[in-house]
Amino acid sequence: MALLKYESQVRPPLVAGDKHYHDVTEDILRPVESNPTMLWWVGFIGALALLGFGVFSIYREVVYGVGQWNINRTVGWGWDITNFVWWIGIGHAGTLISAILLLFRQGWRTGVNRAAEAMTIFAVICAGQFPIWHMGRVWMGFFVLPYPNTRGVLWPNFNSALLWDVFAISTYFTVSLLFWYTGLLPDLASIRDRARLKWRKFFYGVCAFGWSGSTKHWQRHEALALVLAGLSTPLVLSVHTIVSFDFATSVIPGWHTTIFPPYFVAGAIFSGFAMVQSLLIISRKVLKLEEYITIEHIDVMNKIIVLTGSIVGCAYLTELFIAWYSQNKFEGWAFMQNRVNLFSPLGWSYYIMMSCNVLSPQIFWFRKMRRSVVVTFFMSVIVNIGMWFERFVIIVTSIYRDYVPSSWTVYYSPSIYEVGFYLGTFGLFFTCYFLFSKFFPVIAVAEIKNILKRSGENYKAKMGEAEAETPEEFAHEMAHAH
Amino acid sequence: MVVKKHWQSFGELTGSDSFKASSEKEFAEELPQEGIDSKGILDLKSPRRDFLKYLGFSTAAAALAASCEIPVKKAIPYLNKPENMAPGVADYYATTYTSGGDVVPILAKVRDGRPIKIEGNELSSLTKGGTSARVQASVLDLYDTARLRFPVQMTSNGPQQITSFDAFDKMIAGAMGSLGGAPVVILTSSITSPTTRQIISEFLAKNAGSRHVQYDADSFSGMMLANEACYGKKAIPAYQFDNAKVIVSLGADFLGTWLTPVEFARQYSKGRKIDEKNPEMSMHYQFESMLSTTGGSADERFVHRPTETGAVALALLAAVGGNATAPALGDKLKFGVNEAAKSLLGNKGKGLVVSGSNDVHVQTVVNSINEMIGANGSTVNWGTTVQTRQGIDSDFESLVADLNAGKVGALLVYGVNPVYTHYAADKFKAGLQKTKLTVSFNDRIDETTELCKYAIPAPHFLESWGDAEGKTGYFSLMQPTIAPLFLTRPFEDSLLRWSGNNTEYENYFKQYWTGKLGAVEAYQKALQDGVIEPSVPSAGGATYNGGKLAESVAALSSRKIGTGLELVIYQKISMGVGYQANNPWLLELPDPITKATWDNYAIVSPEYAKKTWNLDLANRRQADKYEVYPEKKVVSINAGGKKLELPVLIFPGIHNDVVAVAVGFGRQSAAQDKTQDKTRDYIGRAVVGAGVNAFPLTSYNGTTIDWFVPDITIDQTDKTYSVAQTQTHSSYEGRDEVVKEMTLEDFKKSPQEILDERAKALKPFGGLENFEKEGTLFPYYDKPGIHWGMSIDLNSCIGCGACAIACHAENNVPVVGKSEVMRFHDMHWMRIDRYFSGDPMDPDSVQTVFMPMLCQHCDNAPCENVCPVSATNHSSEGLNQMAYNRCIGTKYCANNCPYKVRRFNWADYTGADSFPDNQVFTGVGKLDDSVIMMNDDLTRMVLNPDVVVRARGVMEKCSFCVQRLQEGKLKAKKENRPLKDMEDVRTACQQACPTEAIVFGNVNDGTSRIRQMREGNPERLYYALEDLHVIPNVNYLAKIRNTEKISDSITES
Repeated sequence: MALLKYESQVRPPLVAGDKHYHDVTEDILRPVESNPTMLWWVGFIGALALLGFGVFSIYREVVYGVGQWNINRTVGWGWDITNFVWWIGIGHAGTLISAILLLFRQGWRTGVNRAAEAMTIFAVICAGQFPIWHMGRVWMGFFVLPYPNTRGVLWPNFNSALLWDVFAISTYFTVSLLFWYTGLLPDLASIRDRARLKWRKFFYGVCAFGWSGSTKHWQRHEALALVLAGLSTPLVLSVHTIVSFDFATSVIPGWHTTIFPPYFVAGAIFSGFAMVQSLLIISRKVLKLEEYITIEHIDVMNKIIVLTGSIVGCAYLTELFIAWYSQNKFEGWAFMQNRVNLFSPLGWSYYIMMSCNVLSPQIFWFRKMRRSVVVTFFMSVIVNIGMWFERFVIIVTSIYRDYVPSSWTVYYSPSIYEVGFYLGTFGLFFTCYFLFSKFFPVIAVAEIKNILKRSGENYKAKMGEAEAETPEEFAHEMAHAH
Repeated sequence: MVVKKHWQSFGELTGSDSFKASSEKEFAEELPQEGIDSKGILDLKSPRRDFLKYLGFSTAAAALAASCEIPVKKAIPYLNKPENMAPGVADYYATTYTSGGDVVPILAKVRDGRPIKIEGNELSSLTKGGTSARVQASVLDLYDTARLRFPVQMTSNGPQQITSFDAFDKMIAGAMGSLGGAPVVILTSSITSPTTRQIISEFLAKNAGSRHVQYDADSFSGMMLANEACYGKKAIPAYQFDNAKVIVSLGADFLGTWLTPVEFARQYSKGRKIDEKNPEMSMHYQFESMLSTTGGSADERFVHRPTETGAVALALLAAVGGNATAPALGDKLKFGVNEAAKSLLGNKGKGLVVSGSNDVHVQTVVNSINEMIGANGSTVNWGTTVQTRQGIDSDFESLVADLNAGKVGALLVYGVNPVYTHYAADKFKAGLQKTKLTVSFNDRIDETTELCKYAIPAPHFLESWGDAEGKTGYFSLMQPTIAPLFLTRPFEDSLLRWSGNNTEYENYFKQYWTGKLGAVEAYQKALQDGVIEPSVPSAGGATYNGGKLAESVAALSSRKIGTGLELVIYQKISMGVGYQANNPWLLELPDPITKATWDNYAIVSPEYAKKTWNLDLANRRQADKYEVYPEKKVVSINAGGKKLELPVLIFPGIHNDVVAVAVGFGRQSAAQDKTQDKTRDYIGRAVVGAGVNAFPLTSYNGTTIDWFVPDITIDQTDKTYSVAQTQTHSSYEGRDEVVKEMTLEDFKKSPQEILDERAKALKPFGGLENFEKEGTLFPYYDKPGIHWGMSIDLNSCIGCGACAIACHAENNVPVVGKSEVMRFHDMHWMRIDRYFSGDPMDPDSVQTVFMPMLCQHCDNAPCENVCPVSATNHSSEGLNQMAYNRCIGTKYCANNCPYKVRRFNWADYTGADSFPDNQVFTGVGKLDDSVIMMNDDLTRMVLNPDVVVRARGVMEKCSFCVQRLQEGKLKAKKENRPLKDMEDVRTACQQACPTEAIVFGNVNDGTSRIRQMREGNPERLYYALEDLHVIPNVNYLAKIRNTEKISDSITES
């Protein structure tokens, strides 16, 4: 009977472990439905502590002024905006995975999209903190909102890239949140249906918006997913483009660069994927989801990392070339002295950026490295360090020595509250992430069932039985089949 | 056409009652609107929709009630309005700034009864309205929190208040009576006031054997003694730098701290302004040991050791053909002396040599040089003499000896502080202890007052009547501009009372001047004008007697020239000898050369640094490392048996073997122990921790005080000390977009060079003519009406900083304290950028540029389009304006400002914040005590009510003094005439500038000064960073140097 069996091995299965539909539900909902582990508590309390420190840092800054940070008259933006751009960049992978990969029908995305989207939302929340709290008078921050007001004809300045940021980020956040939440609905309904405790039934019932799993629901759900994917795809590209306008539309050498939009988007995807890697490598281990988030996922994402890392590298070299080619004295100074010169006061940051972002990801040209969990985790951290320095290099090394040498200063080191604010956003991020991993399924249960080739697997399993039979037995069985 | 009737139910078809009933009701169920018909609407139990209304209203009401509780501050109008005084309208009173002998005629701007700003008196032919940083800052001294508020008796338990002057006078009378005939000595600074002098002599006449000693901490006794020998007059002639085509200064900082710098700066600038049609300028040689402010403006500088001062003078004398043999000097120095001599001889009668030395012999030789070059009678004017320094060092020395010998019964100290400024303060202190009666007339309990037995508070000059005769025949009157703030009494009143004259000084003064001027009207006119001057400027020479020259030449020839390290002690432009030490504005004013604030320090040469610490400032890598960190090495200087620990700053332009330390810092009360230290209360809150006292390093050479120490050693320590500098990078890196300079020769040869360069750079974008329109994609808008513009002449700017302080005072610019300056949180709206060029290892090659930098009020301002809330925007008059209330503090504008002139309120510097009690805190960004002091109710009286005090978290910057512009416009409008600049509008910086480097006005007015300036100087005119197309409204006039070449950038690329 061996002739009956033919299996193509072009692609490895997206979900390993020969899962049945029920197994999937059980595996993924286990952390949601069981009590949190010790590890979860430790992590959660740690995250809360960081968040608390962050809140205290912001309290100091709001009460005593921005002087609580070590930025100065020349370097008006330091860690604050560096962190902002960094977090925004991290918030790019989620939407890219859920939207663009959905449109490109990349089946593997289902294993990682839920966590990546959650990460996006939390990262955007963290990012948003910086432009808000870096304001000298945060309580007047609502001035940036364009609403009919009692202040006569006073409107925000639509020429300002900072105002574009407000719109870009709030739009991005809204669409990402909607996308993430609509995807969650079927799973929330599953949890509701499986819930034994009353409060759980109520809580998830409210969250599930009355999802009944009817065909109509599914049809609308999928249509909405496509619409939102269509909406978010341009957003993925536009948000960081607009963030880059903060710099590109200025007059400061090192900021005033037309290459910024594509360069920022590539960098954002680069750092976003690195962050997804960091988180998922931990999550799959801790939540025992290795069979859903497989080495294949890691491999694929590493390919994206090496691609975007190289794009970013090209951008760096282009910048240098243009700085030379333009023969603009000030631009030349910003690049050759402030950055490339290792011995200038902040020159070292350029080299950290270069080595972390351009050189080290090249290791992923090797399949063995791409498929190594340890290497991937290490690299994902390195990439995010590198991307932090990229923003630091762009922001600080451009302004600390710009046009008028009399005003040159240096941004020595952040104050404790500046660091505290940054750590606080980590606290916020992980608090959210821990809550998310406890109360929501980190993998899209409903969606992953779509890519489960269960009938094929069943067929294969049956083939095994058939193979063991003699043709007579088989014929007999067939003849007596109902 | 038939209308078909469609029905959905039988009820509809038949029109049954139940159908009708159900179709009238929108909702199937009863809506919870209870009893709407039975009761009135007000009795409803909040139906659903109303609930939302109530919720909204109550939330809003609660928010309003909670947030709108604004404390009621009552403004009480005058019941009887004083004549000639309208609330909100400033009055200007002519009066006189005096401090330690210095005299500057000024106008005090008085708003609602309190002086808030000093302006120069333009009626004075000497200063023509110029001021200095110290003059500008003196208004803050009036409101100093450390001022002594009542007469006191100093006891071992500290000062004990004496309730009234009568009681005080009785105590003094008692003490005077028990002196037993021992003489009374009045110790004062140089007295320029004719009435005070008369009162002193009346007092002395009443007290047999008593005498008056004048003591100047920065004495000119060497010069006066030399003049006595050469001209028979123990006096200082008036110098006429305006008549000098060649100026040779042997270490005289005549633009900064030497004699009458405001007047000299005005005169000097006359020769520095360039007429483009006939470009000529004076030639300024400076021979000095360290780079002084004046040296910064010199065309040729040559450095020498302090011990070579005599040799340089001799060499110059020999070179101009005098009776001396030139001593051996280094090649460069010899070359410099010969060049200077050649210039001087080539411009006979139009040259001037001045020396800052306090050495009789040096000054005798200088007199001889001036004689040889025909300066006597032209640039050295003996027609009037300068009276601001009259003290003779030896007089004070003998007083100290007398005190110690117990020969003095009573010492009345007025306006001096020898315990702080004298080289041998211990001796003076011992003498004070031995004196039975010591009375100090002072505005605070300074070092000397603390050791006196009685102290009587002296009024500030803005509270006083008085007069001053800075130069003989040139009087300046003083009138009170505010009722005395404290229980003060003028020195003169005390003397009158104690000599048995019951006339008050006010009346005495009035009688004196009415008598002198002949009529009350003349007196009133004089008071109004503030100055009384001879109708024809007095000029003339004096008979020279060279008898003593040979002796001086011999003395100088035999002087040993040092070989080791030498120390020179100098004065800072902001501090002088420290009379205004507790002035946060002055303490925060960056030194013109070092740009350091709040401290003094030892300046050493880059060569010394290379030798000692292997730190090469010409190497960019090492220079970067050195300059970006405020922590500087601390060294211990051993000079003449005394030790002084100071941080070190490395600056080019100082002689390679010279260390320079400034006086005026390091104020300290008697008790040094931390728990007992009263410096904060007695001398002031701002001086605590500000530098160390360098006066003990001066020495007495038997005739005069020397301001240098020939042989010093330096011990390295492993300590560091942070020095707050507002500018750390000293090279403009060859960025001629920012600074343009040329030599005079080049300028004569190719006057179009700058214009051509600009034209070339702008050619692709419309050229000079159309750059504004064609250099952009955006449409061009006309600029009708007024368009404000400013022109700054880099050739006239001497970097003195008067403008910066004027701006402080006019615009309520906050003081941020040393710790914040160190974090580059300085707030100056107006700063003076200082750049060096040349080889740092060769001090002679170092050239200095001063570039006043303020908001350029760009017509295409990069700060304006990046503000998300339009808090900074452009006025129709070309002002880049800030709406502070709208600012949310994103700092984007500051980042995008190419000139970096925007200043952010990093903390609650002014107490204007909406958060209460957030000025005093610890940890990061802790504010210095001086900031808190500036927020004292007393100190806040100096605030200009026309300018809002900015809250924490908002951006601020130069406004072109928009409040002054508005006032000027209104004035013109009320008088129904067009605006006249110079009469109606002048910015504070422009008014304060002693050299008229700043011109401001309406560029759309064809007759305005600014227009003339721009049209008259097309060849030097440039805009900083013009090619950015930000279209600044401030233009600069390039610096022209009367020298051979412009030095190269200071660091290697």
